[in-house]
Amino acid sequence: MYNPTAAVQDIPDLLRIESFSRDQMADLCMETTHAVYSHDKMYGPYCTIQEYIDCPPEKVFEYLADPRSLEEWTWSTRDLEPTDEPGLMMGWDRLADDTKLYCRTVSNPIARTVDYHCAWDQGDDLWMIYLMRIVPAQLVLGKRGSVVIWSNCHHPYYDNNPYPELAPPEREIWVGDLWPFFYAGHVVEMDNLKKILEQRHARREMIRPWTRPEPAAVGLGRFAALEKQ
Amino acid sequence: MNPVSLIATASEFPARVVPNEFFGGERGVPRGGMFRGARLRHHMATEESAVDLIARATRTLETRTAGRMDHGVDILLTNVSMPDLPFTGCGAAVAKELGWSPQWVYDLHSHGCVSFIAMMEVARALIATTSARSALICNVQTAAGRIFAHPAVRDMAQSAVPGDGCGVALLVEGDERPVESITVRCHAENASDMQITSDDGRAWWEPGTDPFHIDFSRSKVAAVVRRANRIVPEVVHEACGQAGIKTSEIGTFITNQPNQIFLRNWREAIQVDEARHIHTFEEHGNLFGAAMPVCLERAELEGQIEENSLVVLGGFSHAGDYSAAAVVRWGAVA
Repeated sequence: MYNPTAAVQDIPDLLRIESFSRDQMADLCMETTHAVYSHDKMYGPYCTIQEYIDCPPEKVFEYLADPRSLEEWTWSTRDLEPTDEPGLMMGWDRLADDTKLYCRTVSNPIARTVDYHCAWDQGDDLWMIYLMRIVPAQLVLGKRGSVVIWSNCHHPYYDNNPYPELAPPEREIWVGDLWPFFYAGHVVEMDNLKKILEQRHARREMIRPWTRPEPAAVGLGRFAALEKQ
Repeated sequence: MNPVSLIATASEFPARVVPNEFFGGERGVPRGGMFRGARLRHHMATEESAVDLIARATRTLETRTAGRMDHGVDILLTNVSMPDLPFTGCGAAVAKELGWSPQWVYDLHSHGCVSFIAMMEVARALIATTSARSALICNVQTAAGRIFAHPAVRDMAQSAVPGDGCGVALLVEGDERPVESITVRCHAENASDMQITSDDGRAWWEPGTDPFHIDFSRSKVAAVVRRANRIVPEVVHEACGQAGIKTSEIGTFITNQPNQIFLRNWREAIQVDEARHIHTFEEHGNLFGAAMPVCLERAELEGQIEENSLVVLGGFSHAGDYSAAAVVRWGAVA
């Protein structure tokens, strides 16, 4: 029979109950639990935020998995258009002047994960990755709706622009300069996401209105045109 | 309200000093966490009393206060963790020992580790509203020798933490060293979370042979940690706000000293340097209510309090039933 304790005995410094008692664990927990934590400790190497949204997980997934949604709920990503490369979109990050933003959306409907693989200035090396996971709130909070967990990792490129030659000449700011504000900025955007999805769901509106057929293509459109005449 | 000044403090300790080896029972000397870090502590002997400790500390206080106590004080307040006697309190016995006849004598049995601040509040209220002009406030921790020295208790991890001792302070009307603010909060929802228990399950007044200890189950420890991490910084901020000061202006920070973890967490939360957070935990253990006057005395005797700087006291009691904080502007006293 497989013996997990024997299997890991050569790996040093594991804390497992066979060799680290309840009292020892309780002591360690006390040492590790502080009253306050610095911002850098909390959001230095990684930035994860989470929020409850009163909207079913399928709808939250449907919305997030469509990159056009970024133009609504993000603070500054705008005018996304497809590129020649399938799945790769290009838009503008309005937080800086003349800044192109490339984005490939990688989603998994079963796991309900939506990852935006992005970069400023170029679309070949998408290193700036926004990891989103949607969890049914029924499972984790015992109520309807969704919990959205959003993580970014502090990639070294945030500290040093790997392609400075591709930056617009007049631009003074680099996306990584704002890493200390990622928590604040992402909270704003998560809040936008929550408000948009909760309102549309509460009013039974389309969750992705941009997928509504163009008025001209249906009968109603013709009537509207007649009324104008 | 007329200003009240905290003029001076003094301390006294039981004779017996107990090293960690005393606690080397089955579960050993405390290693870490809630019970880490005390090296020594004093234990009350059977023949010692809270009354004696208060009387001796008060004699020291008299020599430090240049004749201010020659005619005694108007108000005498005490808080003793395990009283010398049930029923009576010790205020009258202290007055008798000192040969005084204060007009207001009260023994407070509430507020545990923040009873020093609670007694400051009571003294201030009496001085503000009556003819009283001076108050002696007395804290005595006696539980270490009276509960935790018992052979059947001292091998528990919690037993090495408490230490006995006494701190007294003189408050008088006036603005020499004014108390700028006092905030005392009662968190009634936490009232019953600290219990004493014995293996035979009897009530503490029932006869029996099994000794008592404090019931801190693992589930309660986590809740108490969470509470203390929150309510102490909150009440310190509140008292500072009331005094119109920023926490960055704190010159000397003194809290109750339950363990090294809380001391660390509170100074981190208030962002006070370790050097400005005065405690005697290693040497005295958890002095309960006596910690604040003992540490004030230590800070002053060691010259750690700059003239006119702000001394901030703060803490919580028991399992979080009270929290309290006070701000004192440390003016020069004659």
